[in-house]
Amino acid sequence: MAEIDEVNRKITLKLVYYGPAQSGKTTNLMRLHDLLAPDLKGEVMTLETQNDRTLFFDLLPLGFRTPSGWLVKLKLFTVPGQVAHDATRKAVLSRADGVVFVADSQRTQSVNNAEAFQNLEENVQRVGLDFASVPLVVQFNKRDLPEAQILSEEEVRARWAQAPWPLVFSSALIGEGVKETFARLLEQVYPVLDKFCALQESHGVDRQSFVAAVTGG
Amino acid sequence: MELEPHTFDREFDLAELLAGMPLARMAQILATLLAGEFRLVTVGGQLMLGRAEPFAQPCHAAIRHELETLGHLESASDGEARLSAAAGMVELVLQLSARYRMAADLHTETVQEDYAALQHQHAALKESEARYKTLSEELEERVRQQVETLETAQRQLYQAEKLASIGQLAAGVAHEINNPIGFIRSNLSTAQQYVRNLERLAALMKAGDMAQFQALWNEADMAFVTEDFAALLGESVAGADRVAKIVADLKGFSNVDQTEEEIVNLNDNLRFACNVIAGQIKDKAELVLELGELPRILCLPGHLNQVFLNLLLNAAQSLPDQGRIKVCSDVLNHEIRILISDNGCGIPEGNLDRIFDPFFTTREVGSGTGLGLTVCRDIVQAHGGRIGVESKVGAGTTFTVYLPVG
Repeated sequence: MAEIDEVNRKITLKLVYYGPAQSGKTTNLMRLHDLLAPDLKGEVMTLETQNDRTLFFDLLPLGFRTPSGWLVKLKLFTVPGQVAHDATRKAVLSRADGVVFVADSQRTQSVNNAEAFQNLEENVQRVGLDFASVPLVVQFNKRDLPEAQILSEEEVRARWAQAPWPLVFSSALIGEGVKETFARLLEQVYPVLDKFCALQESHGVDRQSFVAAVTGG
Repeated sequence: MELEPHTFDREFDLAELLAGMPLARMAQILATLLAGEFRLVTVGGQLMLGRAEPFAQPCHAAIRHELETLGHLESASDGEARLSAAAGMVELVLQLSARYRMAADLHTETVQEDYAALQHQHAALKESEARYKTLSEELEERVRQQVETLETAQRQLYQAEKLASIGQLAAGVAHEINNPIGFIRSNLSTAQQYVRNLERLAALMKAGDMAQFQALWNEADMAFVTEDFAALLGESVAGADRVAKIVADLKGFSNVDQTEEEIVNLNDNLRFACNVIAGQIKDKAELVLELGELPRILCLPGHLNQVFLNLLLNAAQSLPDQGRIKVCSDVLNHEIRILISDNGCGIPEGNLDRIFDPFFTTREVGSGTGLGLTVCRDIVQAHGGRIGVESKVGAGTTFTVYLPVG
C-alpha cells in the first residue's frame, strides 16, 4: 500500500514485476529506464545476480512533482523468478501497489507460466493483499522469437479470455510493448491511489496526467 | 527473541545511511578533498559530520539519493567543482550503503519467514510424532493382548496333548489291569464253589455218615480240588501283585505337573516308562533294554517320563505285526545319551524337518494333537539338552535324546 509522508510531502508507490524465471522481468526494467522520461529518474539498482539471473531484486526509482508540490515516487521492483527463491519473492511482493506478470511466450514455458501465476496468486494472499482487487497487467513477452516457437496472439487471447486483466504483447529485448504494459498498469493503479490520497482533489493530478508524468508523455 | 524486521524497501534518511560508517575517517578524507573545513547536514539542517558552527557564507552541494535530496555538503572555500565532486563521492558511498541495507533487511525478512515456516513444520511434526506415539502404544498393547491369547491357547493345547497321552496310557493300563482282575475274579468264583463243597463234606463228617461222605468226596473230585485250590490262590496273589505293580508305575505319572526338581537315575525313569507301555505291546513287539551306567542328574522326572513315554508310544504305533523296540542309554562326551529305536514304518525324508513343528501330524484328524514331539523337544530343551531323529522308510526310526550331566 502506498506510503504518505506528510513531513517530506511524499507519496511512495511500489510496483512489482513478477513472473517465471528468465521471462524478461529485468529486461523490462532496463528498457523502461531507457524509454521513460519522467521528471525524476534514478538508475537501475541491481542487487545481486548469478549468471544473469536475479538473486534478490532489481530496483528502478521514478518520480514526479505534483502541481501541489508533492513528490510522487514510484519504486519498480523485479522478483527472482527461480522457484527456489520463493521467500525473497514473497518479501519483495509485500506492500505492492500493482503487479506486472511477465509471461514467457515460448510454447515450452506454458507450464512454468502457469506455476508462476499460481505462485503469484498464493503469495498475494500470503502477504495480505486481495488478489481480486490488486492492480495487475499480464504481459506476454519475447514476441520477437520465431513464430513456431511461441504461442500465437490468438492462442494466448483464447486462453486468457475469461481473465479480467489487461493483456499486453511485448518484446522487452527490442523495447516493444514495455512502455505500454507499464502505462496500462499505471491506469489501473491511479483509481486506487486517488481514493487513498485524493490525487485529483488535493494534488491536481488526474489519471491522464498521472500516466503522462510518470512515463514522460 | 523476535525482532520486527525493518522493511527492506523503506525510505532511508541520511542518518540511517551513514550509520555504521567509519565517520572519523570519512571526515578526514572530506577535509583533505575540500582543502579545509566542511559540514555535512541533513535537509532539516541537522549536522551529520564536520564543523559544528555554521559557515558565514558557505558553498552548497546537494547530496541526492534515489530522486531525493537527503542533505547538503557545505564548505567555506569557493571550490565549486571540488565540492560537487566530493558530494558525488558521498552519494556513491550512500548508494552502496543503501544497497547493503536493502539486501541485509531483505535477507532478514526471508530468514524470519523461513524460520516461521520451519517452526510451523516443527509444530506439525511434533503433533504427528505424538499421534504416532499414541498409535504405537496402542499397537504394543494389542500385541501384548494377542501374545497373551496365543500363550493361553498354547497352554491349553499342551494340556490337551498331556491329556491325550495320558488317555492313551489309561486305555493301555485298563487293558493291562483287566486281565489279572479277570482271572482273579474267575479263580475266586471257583474258590467259592470249592468252599461250598467243603462245607457240605464238613456237615456229613459231623453227622458221622462216612458212606455219604466218601460218595460226595469222590463226586466232587476233592483230590484235584485240594491241589487246584492252592494253585488258584497262588495265581491270584501273583495277579494282585501285577496290578499293584502297574498301579505303582502309574504313580510316576501322577506327578507330571510337579515342578520340583529331583536328583534321579534316568534308567529308573526309562524302565518305568517301558513298564507302562509293555502291557500294550507285548502281543506284537519285543522290548529290549540296554541300559548303561548313568550318573544321577537333577531334573523334572515327571516331565522326562512324558518324553520317554511319548517316544515309546510313537515307536509302538509305527510297528508292524512283529516288531522290536530298543531302548539304550549311555554317557558320551559329558552328556547322557538315550536312544529309542524301532524297526517300524519309518518317517519319509520330506517330513523329517517338520516332525517337531507344532500341529504337524500324519495321523488322522482327531487321533493326534500334533504336539507330542513338540512337547518332547520343549521339555528336553528346558533341561538344556537336545533331541535328534534318524529314520529310513521301511527300516525304522531312532530318536536320540542328549541331556547334560551336572
